[in-house]
Amino acid sequence: MSRSPRIAPPPNAGNDPVSGSVLAHQPEALAAFTQLYGTLWSRGVLDHSTKELARLRNARVTDCGY
Amino acid sequence: MSWLPRAKNEAAAHPATELDAVFGHRPDLYRDYRDFHALFWERPLVDPVLLELCRLRIAALVGCESELGIRYQGTLDAGLTESKIAALDHWHDDARFSERERAVLAFAELFVRDPHAITDGDARAVVHELGDAGTVAFVEALALFDGFARFRVMLGVERTTDAVRAAALPVVGDASSY
Repeated sequence: MSRSPRIAPPPNAGNDPVSGSVLAHQPEALAAFTQLYGTLWSRGVLDHSTKELARLRNARVTDCGY
Repeated sequence: MSWLPRAKNEAAAHPATELDAVFGHRPDLYRDYRDFHALFWERPLVDPVLLELCRLRIAALVGCESELGIRYQGTLDAGLTESKIAALDHWHDDARFSERERAVLAFAELFVRDPHAITDGDARAVVHELGDAGTVAFVEALALFDGFARFRVMLGVERTTDAVRAAALPVVGDASSY
């Protein structure tokens, strides 16, 4: 497992951890994903603490340090 | 039939598919999901045949019968055949699969089974075939296919018929409804 980025963000992507990441290579997909993720987090019926617990547990199970 | 009750909101009053009936509980989330999903089939972000091979291979690995029952017309129009789809279970040993297809299928299998097992060589092979931007789109598509195949399995979204019919792009849903 590599610990260094396999793809660099595009030039001038900025410093935002999401929009400045490799996802900036696909702006349309990034926008659609951001919309989906925003709805999931901000307009949901499940409380935030439950979602955050699930997210962090999933990150640990998959060993995602990001 | 899913173990969830069918959504009762207006948008899901006449669901075309079982996925509609289940995801209809969250119409705004379903709309955003469909928009995100459609992007990969409407736009030439990645060769749709490569995506379709990986989508179906992931569905098989996850054991998602409802995903396995879906076909996208554009991929059939592009030459993807049912015999080749049937060969996906043993693609490693089948000469019909090109080097390009092997690179993305190997990556997709590891993505599902153990993403930490993906080597720099595996990644380089995909970047070589798809480029940086194409690889980003490809991995996003894998996340979508893997995550929502599991979503369907967990919520019991079943394949409602054995008939496989072709869907016009970018329709999302069960093959039974097309």
